[in-house]
Amino acid sequence: MTRTERPSETRRTFFAWMIGLAASVVGLGLAIPLAGYVIGPALKRRDTSWAAVGPTGSLRTGEPEELEYASTVKDGWRTVTAKKGIWAIKQPAGEVVVLSPICPHLGCGFRWAAGDHTFKCPCHGSVFDVTGKVLAGPAPRSLDVLPSKVEQGNLLVLYKEFKSGLDHPVEL
Amino acid sequence: MAGKLYEWLDARLNLKSLGHTLLDEAIPGGASWIYVFGSATLFIFCLQATTGMFLALYYVPSPDSAYDTVQYIQHEVPFGWFVRGLHHWGASAVMVAVGLHLLQVYLYGAYKRPRELLWMVGVCLLLLMMAFGFTGYLLPWDQNAYWATQVGTNMVASVPVAGDVLVRVLRGGATLGALTLSRFFAVHTLFLPALMGCGILVHLFILRRVGPAGPWSAEQAKQRSETFYPRQVYMDALVMLGVFLLIVVLAWTVEFPLADRADPADHTFTPVPEWYFLFFYEFLKYVSGPLEPLATWVLPGLFILGLLLWPLIDRNPERRPSSRPMALASGGAFLLVVFALMGVSLWNLHATPKTDPSVARGKALFAQQHCAACHRIHGDGGMVGPDLSYVADQRPDRQWHLRHFREPQSVSPGSIMPAFTLPEKDLTDLTSYMVSLKSGAGTPEGGEPR
Repeated sequence: MTRTERPSETRRTFFAWMIGLAASVVGLGLAIPLAGYVIGPALKRRDTSWAAVGPTGSLRTGEPEELEYASTVKDGWRTVTAKKGIWAIKQPAGEVVVLSPICPHLGCGFRWAAGDHTFKCPCHGSVFDVTGKVLAGPAPRSLDVLPSKVEQGNLLVLYKEFKSGLDHPVEL
Repeated sequence: MAGKLYEWLDARLNLKSLGHTLLDEAIPGGASWIYVFGSATLFIFCLQATTGMFLALYYVPSPDSAYDTVQYIQHEVPFGWFVRGLHHWGASAVMVAVGLHLLQVYLYGAYKRPRELLWMVGVCLLLLMMAFGFTGYLLPWDQNAYWATQVGTNMVASVPVAGDVLVRVLRGGATLGALTLSRFFAVHTLFLPALMGCGILVHLFILRRVGPAGPWSAEQAKQRSETFYPRQVYMDALVMLGVFLLIVVLAWTVEFPLADRADPADHTFTPVPEWYFLFFYEFLKYVSGPLEPLATWVLPGLFILGLLLWPLIDRNPERRPSSRPMALASGGAFLLVVFALMGVSLWNLHATPKTDPSVARGKALFAQQHCAACHRIHGDGGMVGPDLSYVADQRPDRQWHLRHFREPQSVSPGSIMPAFTLPEKDLTDLTSYMVSLKSGAGTPEGGEPR
């Protein structure tokens, strides 16, 4: 006659604890590195670099001009040349202000309307003056200013992106 | 809290009876450490499935990107090297576990009536596991992956009559390329896991219908029995933990480097298959000519068929090893042959002179720094600078090369070569590569000196 054995209650508790312990070690041993693996690249800051966008001599005071910012950036495993159009405005005193080409409302690209002397966003109708200040529409803040400097007559820009929809610029 | 939740769920889903079905199955003769290999195999397979899914987050199966994405996983993603290491060592571990599981079942005669189907499905799972190994090996798209798969797929071409069509279907075209990589990826990550999942379910379903075999002596099996939970589960869990820790230690301590990017033009590369295919690799060296299809297909085919139908061939109802001399002798002979071939193969591989790793790194740097834009080596590269195919014949001095890289004009006045201010280690590697470029080296039969 077959006799099916059952271990005593204390033995059962011991086995249950050991099984739980083994499962926890394996679970944690996987969960921690895998979480880092998934989250790591997502939280990595994008590195940008200064890039020359052109000579300042050809800019006209008070007239925004769209210049091309090209830099080599890492896109995951790829190294690509990213191109962005940025707005450069020569100030009466001679220095140059550079504006991000992205509308601070929801991230559309805005245009320069030379006739009205304003920047207009075609998506939701925000309007900005030549300094970037909001004149009309839903945009919550002025156009974002990009860091820039002039070296040997060349305009250098550090491209950045900012969170949209906030009333103050927060870098991405 | 947990108890209350369990009660709530149990009232709706009737969990207690499910728990009873899953955990209280009787094991004839009681729990034993010898029964752990099946669960260990299942555990490592699940580990492979998990790490594989995570690798797929960053991997791209195209010849343009595959190698770069694996490099990215290995060097830039936090713990990427670890996840890849787990997957690599897990692949080896699952083969060992499957082998031990098969051995235990064979030794205990557990495939005999009424468990013939359990064995047959198990053999199918073994074949699927080997298909996983074969398809996964190509995915990093490095030299080893490319050339090993080249050899592996060419073997299919030697199948009589249908070989040509089969190899094209396998590769997705006449040659190994983008379509091969994408279909190997799809098979490795979608088709095989689906088949494997179903196969494992069928395997477990049959196990539960026929019950575990227990000890080989019927008297011992009748004397006592024990439920699956808790002691057998406890043993399985401890073994799983041990296996996991072993794989972690291997992944942590033994780096699994990538070879150079796959280069279809580089015929000097000698691929080596994974260790679990080595015995077959060695076996193929001993057969050639008209006998080759016999060795590549007929014998392995017959062997697999024999393995699959083994419960129908071995009709001896006795499970005790001492009463099955023929079965054990043939099993032992097979193991002897496999391990002997594997041993010879490992011996040969060990005896083959390896390329100095510094030379290999230097060669990679030569490509990275686009040196070939100006310099030609064995017919590849520009003609702006001197041909470097046999540069060490004229310039055997390491110091000369080091100085030359840092400041070309200091040792070669009037040179238009720009200075390469690379880290010291890179310059050393590049120099090793330069010094290795001499007549009588690098090319198999000693290149012709000019």
